Amino acid sequence: MTLVEMIWTSSAALLTLFTFSYLYKDNPFYKFAEHLVVGVSAGYFAIILYYGSFVPKVIDTIFKQGWWYYSIPAALGILMWTRFSKKFSWISRFSLAFYMGIAVGVSIPLTLQNYVLKHLVETTRPINFTSLNGIWQFLVVVFVFSTLTYFFFSREHKGAFGVSAKLGIGVLMIAFGAGFGLTVMGRVSLLAERVLFLKDYLVELKYFLYMLFKYGILL
Amino acid sequence: MISYFILNIPSAIPWFDFNRINVLITLAVFFCFLLYFIGRAKKGKSLFIRRIAGLDAIEEAVGRATEMGRPILYIPGIEDMDNIQTVASMIILGNVAKMAATYETPLIVPICRPFVVPVAEESVQQGYLAAGKPDAYDKNSVRYISDEQFAYTAGVNGIMLRERPAANLMFGSFFAESLLMAETGFSTGAIQVAGTANIHQLPFFVVACDYTIIGEELYAVSAYLSKEPKLLGTLKGSDLAKLVIMIILVLGAILITANILWFKNWFFVQ
Amino acid sequence: MRREVPLVICFLLGALFIADYFISNPTFDRIAQTINQWAIIVISFAYVLGVANIARINTGVIKRREKDWVFKLVLLFGLLLMVILGIGWGIREGTVFYWVYMNAYYPMQATMFALLAFFIASAAFRAFRIRSWEAGLLAITAIAVMIGRVPVGEAVWKNFPNFTEWIMDAPQMAAKRAIMIGAALGAISTGLKVLTGLERTYLGGD
Repeated sequence: MTLVEMIWTSSAALLTLFTFSYLYKDNPFYKFAEHLVVGVSAGYFAIILYYGSFVPKVIDTIFKQGWWYYSIPAALGILMWTRFSKKFSWISRFSLAFYMGIAVGVSIPLTLQNYVLKHLVETTRPINFTSLNGIWQFLVVVFVFSTLTYFFFSREHKGAFGVSAKLGIGVLMIAFGAGFGLTVMGRVSLLAERVLFLKDYLVELKYFLYMLFKYGILL
Repeated sequence: MISYFILNIPSAIPWFDFNRINVLITLAVFFCFLLYFIGRAKKGKSLFIRRIAGLDAIEEAVGRATEMGRPILYIPGIEDMDNIQTVASMIILGNVAKMAATYETPLIVPICRPFVVPVAEESVQQGYLAAGKPDAYDKNSVRYISDEQFAYTAGVNGIMLRERPAANLMFGSFFAESLLMAETGFSTGAIQVAGTANIHQLPFFVVACDYTIIGEELYAVSAYLSKEPKLLGTLKGSDLAKLVIMIILVLGAILITANILWFKNWFFVQ
Repeated sequence: MRREVPLVICFLLGALFIADYFISNPTFDRIAQTINQWAIIVISFAYVLGVANIARINTGVIKRREKDWVFKLVLLFGLLLMVILGIGWGIREGTVFYWVYMNAYYPMQATMFALLAFFIASAAFRAFRIRSWEAGLLAITAIAVMIGRVPVGEAVWKNFPNFTEWIMDAPQMAAKRAIMIGAALGAISTGLKVLTGLERTYLGGD
């Protein structure tokens, strides 16, 4: 590892430790790491958007490819900047409405297809009480039905309806417990990865310092 | 002659994708349900909506922040306005801003996506206007933090630890950062109400927050808080659609068990 | 006018994209895709609002010498540093921009992710204090799933992994589907309200 690489890796290790210090309590080291990373990421995204979006999709399309109609979204984008003026900020609504219309229009049919119809099809499977799969399938239908009754807003959860809703809550709690249990191992493995990084860094640092002292460069 | 015409409709309208006719019909029927109940609401018919504990807790959280003289922290999730949960969150923000303005409680809204900033500003301003206190609106209440998930989380955690909001309201689309924010909020002693339709994050909100709003309840918040008849009408329309889906589910299971496949196949989208 | 025209724009574009889903005409598809690209361009211009917001709020804190104002200097320094490095020397692998990102941001991101291990433990400690039957169900299922997915589960009961699989395939799957169906109906309803102008909070007041 070169001196420059060692400096960069040391900064990474230091920021890792600063972030871990958050577990103790809020402290100046954590505050430093937090503010640095917020600033760096904001600057990072500004540049990525500039090179990844603004230059190829605005500058190149309008001035190099001659697609002048791309000045329409550029104009809409500039209209967003009227928000800096109290008097003219209402003009930015055109750009807001433009984006909202597209976002909502794209999502409505896709949501219906992927989250309603698809799940309806997947849930309706043959039921029979002679095989284990058939019984599970029956239970799945019952569970979906009862959980949907929980989300009913038009009726109080009373009587038979209430019983179904209570079963729905039970199913929800089982699902949340399963989701929680499933995630625990994944999160612990992320911690293990960071601890291994610090361990590898310390080994590299030890070797680096040993080599420097051996050849007298540090002195 | 009629059958000839029906059989030749696909070729007569070549631009229409007939594989998706089921989606069109379902969408049209759902829209009719909404219109029906909006019509009933306009005629002044009363529309009953049951009590939802998590939604009542929003007012309780705002009240608590007011009593303690500490701000309300409203976190609208980490997705952009193309995610409908963020749209719903902005609508809820307007209602929360109105409550905050009424009680003169400071409101902090950290934002993850730059396009959400003007929408959040408009929602908060609208809330203050609706409360009759437009001059009380503080433009520094809406703060853009970062586009990056964990930089945003670090910034939000910083706000929780240093500004000590008494109420944390988290509504929108969340991912792994949900637990980080909820646990930090818990450690500060704030009352926390969270709502998301992201199933994988719901367990963490259920465990770490005082109240959790699950899935569809997130979209019911604005109607529930404002009690506006037209919005309540759309909630009823949604309920009717749910009832129809439950009937289809049972019917579908029975028919497919009897080896009648056309019913289930109609809902299949190619 | 100030609200009506944007509402009409929103409706027309929404209707266009809903229609695009049902129409399989190449010209129509190209028009819709082009307008979709325009949305990305509008977003990139909106980033200036975000950066301006950061600059305004943090310089205000620095000017008024409020608590932790020194750290706001660090924030603004980080922002300016990345902008200067990116514009001046490019963003390719091997540039200083790339190295700052990989050695300043990436370690923090990975460490924040790693903190989840501690937080999930503290959340579990609270969750497993069983105060109601719902909390009990959640706790028991979580423990069962955790045990079932490690070798000790199979050692305790040979069918433990199968039981865990059943929990994932039956109740968990059923709840997931019900939540998704309900949420989808709510999302479509909200979308239709926005398109028809019933919900117009995002446009603000007059």
